[in-house]
Order: sequence, then structure tokens, then C-alpha cells
Amino acid sequence: MNNHAALDTSIYTAVTEAIRVEAQRILSEGQVTAVIGYAASRRKGSARPVIATDAVAADKLIFTAACVNNLAVYLTKAKKDIHKGGKIGIVVKGCDLKALIGLMGESQLKREDLYLIGVPCSGVLGSTMQPATELTTATIAPKCCECDVHQPTGCDFIPSVTVPSTPQLEGKYSAEIARLEALTPAERWSYWKEQFAKCIKCYACRQVCPFCFCEQCLCDRNKPQMVDSTPRPSGNTAWHIVRAMHLAGRCAGCAECERVCPMDIPLNLLNRKMAKELKELYDYESGLEVLEKGPLNSFAEKDDQSFIK
Amino acid sequence: MSRIGVFICHCGENISRTVDVERVAAEIGRHPGVAFSTDYKYMCSDPGQTLLKKAIQEQRLTHVVVAACSPRMHEKTFRKAVEVAGLNPFLCEMANIREHCSWVHEDREEATVKAIDIVGMMVERVKKNRVLAAITVPVTKRSLVIGGGIAGIQAALDIADCGHEVILVEREPSIGGHMAQLSETFPTLDCSQCIMTPKMVDVANHPKIKLYTYSEIELVEGYIGNFQVTIKKKARSVDEDKCTGCGVCMTKCPQKKIPNRFDQNIGMRSAIYVPFPQAVPNTPVIDRDNCTWFKSGKCGVCQKVCGPGAVDFEQQDRLVVEAVGAIVVATGFDLYSINEKPKGSAIKGYGEFGHGKIPDVIDGMTFERLASASGPTGGKILRPSDGKEPKQIVFIQCVGSRAREKGISYCSKVCCMYTAKHTMLYHHKVHDGQAYVFFMDARTPGKSYDEFWRRSIEEEEAVYIRGMVSRLYQKGDKIVVMGSDIAVGVQVEIEADMVVLATAIQPQKGADTLAQKLGISYDKYNFYSEAHAKLRPVECATAGIYLAGACQGPKDIPETVSQASAAAAKVMTLFSKDKLEREPVVARVREAGCVGCFACKKVCAYGAVEEKEIRDRQGNLVKIVAYVNPGVCAGCGTCQATCPSKCVELDGYTDEQIVAMIEAL
Repeated sequence: MNNHAALDTSIYTAVTEAIRVEAQRILSEGQVTAVIGYAASRRKGSARPVIATDAVAADKLIFTAACVNNLAVYLTKAKKDIHKGGKIGIVVKGCDLKALIGLMGESQLKREDLYLIGVPCSGVLGSTMQPATELTTATIAPKCCECDVHQPTGCDFIPSVTVPSTPQLEGKYSAEIARLEALTPAERWSYWKEQFAKCIKCYACRQVCPFCFCEQCLCDRNKPQMVDSTPRPSGNTAWHIVRAMHLAGRCAGCAECERVCPMDIPLNLLNRKMAKELKELYDYESGLEVLEKGPLNSFAEKDDQSFIK
Repeated sequence: MSRIGVFICHCGENISRTVDVERVAAEIGRHPGVAFSTDYKYMCSDPGQTLLKKAIQEQRLTHVVVAACSPRMHEKTFRKAVEVAGLNPFLCEMANIREHCSWVHEDREEATVKAIDIVGMMVERVKKNRVLAAITVPVTKRSLVIGGGIAGIQAALDIADCGHEVILVEREPSIGGHMAQLSETFPTLDCSQCIMTPKMVDVANHPKIKLYTYSEIELVEGYIGNFQVTIKKKARSVDEDKCTGCGVCMTKCPQKKIPNRFDQNIGMRSAIYVPFPQAVPNTPVIDRDNCTWFKSGKCGVCQKVCGPGAVDFEQQDRLVVEAVGAIVVATGFDLYSINEKPKGSAIKGYGEFGHGKIPDVIDGMTFERLASASGPTGGKILRPSDGKEPKQIVFIQCVGSRAREKGISYCSKVCCMYTAKHTMLYHHKVHDGQAYVFFMDARTPGKSYDEFWRRSIEEEEAVYIRGMVSRLYQKGDKIVVMGSDIAVGVQVEIEADMVVLATAIQPQKGADTLAQKLGISYDKYNFYSEAHAKLRPVECATAGIYLAGACQGPKDIPETVSQASAAAAKVMTLFSKDKLEREPVVARVREAGCVGCFACKKVCAYGAVEEKEIRDRQGNLVKIVAYVNPGVCAGCGTCQATCPSKCVELDGYTDEQIVAMIEAL
């Protein structure tokens, strides 16, 4: 870890304190029935998602560089764990907030049902780091290197701390996309074939993704069977293409899929490439505002039509 | 177990020339599930259909595949035959081995193999077809007619005479449209007012017609049989119920020098006005832009002199919602002007004719007003510039029309006839005058039309010059017309007192905006598009909306009236049943799997997807899912392609069927 600069995470103490106070207040005043946040876990420095339903539990909420999870997923698939009825508070980093905005546009959430506690964030740890590791330019998650929302906006509460200016970090995704784009289609295909061949079809990427909220995934259907269910090359490829296509124009880049992948498939790389296409074709970035229709389900006369030969 | 019957058609030699139909029948007979297969020379003929019906009964068939032409051609024929034989018609599918196979291939062996594949795929598909029942939707037996010209009036009267309520909406203060402006009409020269105004009165008095004048369509929702239309009644500033139409307000109004659009701005009107004396309704409107009260808060004379107290300066625009089952669009036309057009417009002006800046160069409609007994000159043909009678008059045809370089390539259809009429009217009124006509060619098909045109030359002394005019310019009080006579091959120059331009017919301004509200299609000129140029000329592609008159394309009065009556007949056909039957090939939502992301709703071009609440027995909301309204769904399948969890499927085209078809290959 030498030659790598440490990153300033000093604000996290103040953030933690502010989250606790605010969570206790809204819970005790009955504004919300639960607050989804992070609490310390058993291993030193580690954090895990918790659902605080009273002031005592709220006092245990934390925010550290180990708070990697995107909690938005607890409002969709995992929502069954949450007590129904009433508003729910949720601790969100800027990247997680984009997912919530996307979910609102897809009728999965209503803004008025949520109490958003925004977190000013300098960055979190990469997926392979030990939780107690110091946050440095080497240990930071790749997504944080290209983050443009260190300071979330539009929340009900944001701790009044200023994110210290982070040094210019190397954009790993944009560099990798540029590298792959420079390859021939055949070379690129062989790269992805190799990546997909590693897949063991555990579907962790699906389970952690806030946008994979279907009650029954089409990959689990057998009448007709759209995607081969065993981890063989054809089914793997089909699954990863379906996943990438279904996320096009929706994924805001929380990179949870990539974090949880036990086989280290660069899933967010595909997502970022789709996002880049959307930006180039439709000047569209997901997660910035609640839209009734995104570019992929609307038609405008000025849309790029160069692909129609 | 399915017992599928496959019937291979030779289509005379259309199919059998390239495809070995006997071999197809033999091989498909061995396909799992096929109980019977045969071939026949003409399956669609009476003996062919009899063969099919007999086989269904004798072989106890459960499904049928007819391998023949395109389903567009004969699907209905065979489904009907299957129904007669006692099977559900939707258990019959067609395999297209003509357009998709025999017509496009030459190699007999390869074409035969492909035909077997095509039929095999359809066998797999039909196996999974569901029994479907025709969808019925209720019909609101009231009709909306948009536009109160002759087309709208005719359609409204025909529908109302049949006993159905009609809502007639007109943008102007009076109905009558362009026909009310005309002087006399070809080919019989009867007075337009004389034949038009009685019809206008009929509309006003008809118990089944509800008239909204000075009103516009704001919003159209719903679908065939069940439209909800929001109409904006613009503030008239005169209470229609109180006004007796005595006209005192108009005589007393101090603002009298406002150009009257009905008189092509030659005649003048007051600020409170009816566009013409025979207006229906005979209720004035205050032109708020020109009224002294509305401009400065002073005056109010009309209110003071109005006996019944009908003048109401406080009146506001009002929105009214009407439920109707059918809509007739009859918004008519507008005339092309030779004025300079805005930059970037596809349609250009006529700089060579002075861009409309020479006062005695007028268009055909202005000439109609000059020739009309009720017009601003009392029927005398006088120059707008100095009120003198023109002794030499030049008519120029095809101004704008058939001029690709000006942006319009179509023929406006009525100009040849009305110019011939104009020369006659001129000759009747100015006995010592001479009329010249520059024309490309005379297009006069129609009953008594060519005779009429010949008459203008042979009896009414009009001089027709075949050729176009290159330039017009003012010289003293004359207009010099420079043109060519291509029959003789010489340049012609005429010093005219007046020039009348037969300008092109264009759709009404705002035709495109209305089309977008209605969800109907229009061409590049904004004329509304019919569903089929030959076989469905009065229907729009959008079900329940019909076209009448010049909004669809240039038309004369007889044609417009015929089309209006045809549109009315279509509306009455629709209203002849209490419920509407339609093909049940619509999308259905598998509610158990739907997560309510409404991607389907976002992409549905027909507005067929609605939100539906699922509640448990206690009435608690379980979830909100998508619901496809079968009355609106057009069966396009976009929702099916969009649904991320594949929870919406089109009957007859389910994923299971598509996959089965692919696997049959």
C-alpha cells in the first residue's frame, strides 16, 4: 500500500453522529416506522445493513468507509423484511440515491413514503479490502474514483459537513472501456466469453441489484425456458446479456453486482459501457431526476436513427 | 392430444409451380400431432372450403393449419370456414407458403424444404393456440363531428336523421364553412347560399344535433365506441340563450371598420358581429381584440342597447366534456397564399407574382366574394384598389398546385372547374370584358364537368392560353402579365385590370395539432390519411374515427358530400350494434408475476395499459399491476417485448409459441 495517498475520511465521525441524532428524532417522533442504515458488525471495522425500529437501535447506526452496501435493495425485493405501513427512513450515499430515483420512475417507490438521510461521502472500500483497512487511493472502490455525487442533494436530511476535496483519481472503468473499445469485435468477444465462462450462476448479482425487482425473473421460468439454468457457456452468456440489457438506461452505477460477484466478473464494466452509450446517443444519465419515460421507452424525432440502414 | 389438420393449397400454379405440394403434405403428415394432411388446387374456393369442413368433422380435427397465401388475404375466410365446421376460429392458423416462399424462390427443391419448415412452425404454433372469444365493448351511440362546413353538416344531418345524437363542433362563430362563401357552384351554377343555408338551418333546428360554434377540440381520450372529448367553448361575450339575434348591437357598435375574414377582408364588419347575415347560430360574437370595451374599458354601447341583456363582457372560456362513440373529422381546407413564406418552410411563396403585394391580384375565394350577391360589392365585380370594373381579367391556374419547386406536387382538383365558372360569372356581369386563362391542362373529369369547361370557351368567350405565367408586375393602374403560349410557341404579354389566382388547396391551419390530439395519421402536407386508399377511403387507421371532405385531400362539393354521407354510413354501421365485436388478439397481463413497473404502459402507443389494484379479501391493497384494456389494445406486441419479467403476452404470439416455432426449425 506504499506510494498510495491516504484519503480524508475525518467527516465520517460527524456524519455518524448526525445520522444517529436524526434517526432517533424521526423514530421517537413517529415520523417513520423504521430507519434502514448501517451498524457495526462483529469483525473489527466491518459494517452491515440494519433496520432500526426504535431509538436504542438508532443509536447504533454508523457511517464508515466499510458501509459499502446499497440499501435501496431493502425497499424492493428485501422489503418483506420491513414492517409495512408508514414512512421509512433510509441512509443513502449519493450513488444509492440514484437507484432510489430510478425506482421512483419505475413506480416501485414513492418519494412521500421515504425519509431520505443523505450521506456526504468521500468514498468506500473496494470489494476485496478488509473492513478495517484505511481508505487510500489504492483501497478505494473503483466506482468511487468516478463518483460525481459525493454530496447528495434533494434529501430530507443531510449532515452539515463538507466533503473534503478528493484528489483526482484514476478512472478505472473509463480506462478499461477505452481499452476494450480499441479491440476488434472478435478480441472483445473472446474477452467477455472468458469472463462469462467464470460465472457459476449463483445470481448474487441479481439478488443484490435494486433494479432486479421482478417477482419472477425470466431466467427462472421454464415455460418457455428462456435461459439455460445450468452454468454452461451458452446460458451464462444469455444471462449476462439479459442482465446488461435490462439495466441499460436504468443502472446508476452502485456497482453492487460487481462487489458481490464471487468470481470477480467485471459486471459494472458492462453497465458503465451501456451508460456511456446512453449518454452518447440520448444525452441521458440515469438517476438524476424522476422521469416518467426514459430514452429507451419513448420516441423523439431527434433520436439517433443512424443505426437504421 | 392434438389432431391437427394441414391443408396445402396449390393456389392454381402460384405455389405448386415452385413447391412440391404433394411432398409437403406427405412430410407434414408425419409431424407429431398432425392427424390429417392434404393438398388442393384452390383451398379458398367453395369445394376447397367444403373439403376442409368435411375433414374437420370426419377426422375430428382439433386444430387447423392452412398453408396457402398471406393471412392478410384469406385468414378471415378460413377462420370462418373452421367456425362453420364447429371449431373455434382462433384454432386455425395460416402458413404463408406463397408470398414467403413460392413467389420469392426459384429452386424447387429448396423451396419445398422451406415450405415444410414454414408449415411445421405453424403446426407447433397452432398447438398452443387458445380458444378465444371475440371481444365486445359497449358503444356510446352519439357521434362527434369536427368542422361545420358542408362535409360536417352533411355527416351530422345524416347521422342525426338516423336517430343518433350528434355533437357538431365548429371553430368559427357560424357553421357554413367555405361553401357559404361561394357565389355560384359548378357545374349547374346554382347559388351556393340558396342550397347551403337551408342545410345550416336544418342543423340548427335538428333535435338530435347539439351545436358548439366558436369552439375547439381540447382533448380526445378513449377509444372506438367510448371516446371522451373535451371541447373548449370560447367566450362569445354574448349569452346564446338570451340573444334574439335582432342585430341592434351590430348597428350601434362604433367600431365598424374591421376587415371581415368571411369577405376575404374586402368587406368590413363591426367589433360585435356575425360573419354573414345568414349565420347559424345568428348570435353575435365580440371580437375582443378590436372591441373598445376590451381595449380601454370604455364604450359598452352594445350592452346598453341589448334589450334582452345578452351581452356579457365577463364571459370566460368554458370546457365541456362529451361522451361519444365515433368521430367524423371534417375540418376542410385553407387556401395557399402567394405571400413570402417563413424561412425553412417546405412551401415557398411567389416572388414573381409580387408576393401578394399587388392589390388587384386576388385569389379565387376573393373573386367568389366579389361575384356573390351577398358579398361586399353586392355582386359587382370591382377592383379592390380603386373600385373600377376590370375590363381585361386574367386567371392563372395551378398557383402553388403541381409546382414541385414551390413545395406542393399535388393537383388541387377543383381549380380547373371553378376558374371556368369564374370566366362565366365574369362574362355574365361584365359584358364588354375579356377573360384570359393561363392553364397547364384542363382536368375536368366528372359528370357534366367537361361540357361545363367547353361552355366557358365556346359560349362564354374565355380565351384559354396553354402555358404558365413567368411574371406579374404593376404598370400604372394595369398589371402586366408575362407568360408563354406553348401551343403556338410565343411569348404573351397582357395588360390586365385584375388577376385571379387559382391557388392551391391546403389543409386547415392546425390540422396536424388536431391529428395529434385524435391520434390519427397525416401526410407531409398535413392532409389526414385514410386507412386504405382504395378500400377504406373514409376510415382512419385509428378505429372509430372517420374522414369527410377536403381535410383528407382536395375535393369539390359533390365529392365532399358523398364522402360525408359515406362517413355517416360508417358511423351508423358502428351504431347498429349495442356491443362492438373485435378480434381478440390482444395482450394479457399475468398478474401474479407483474411487479407494476409499468414499462408496458410507457411504451403503449394506444394508451391501452391501465393501472389495476389487487386487493385481498379484507380489501387491503396487495399490489398495483398493469391491466390491458382489450377494447383499446391493437395487438402490436410492444408491451410483450418490453416487459422485463415477461408477464404480458399477446394471445397467439406468446413466448411459448415463438420458442416452439423456433425449435421446430
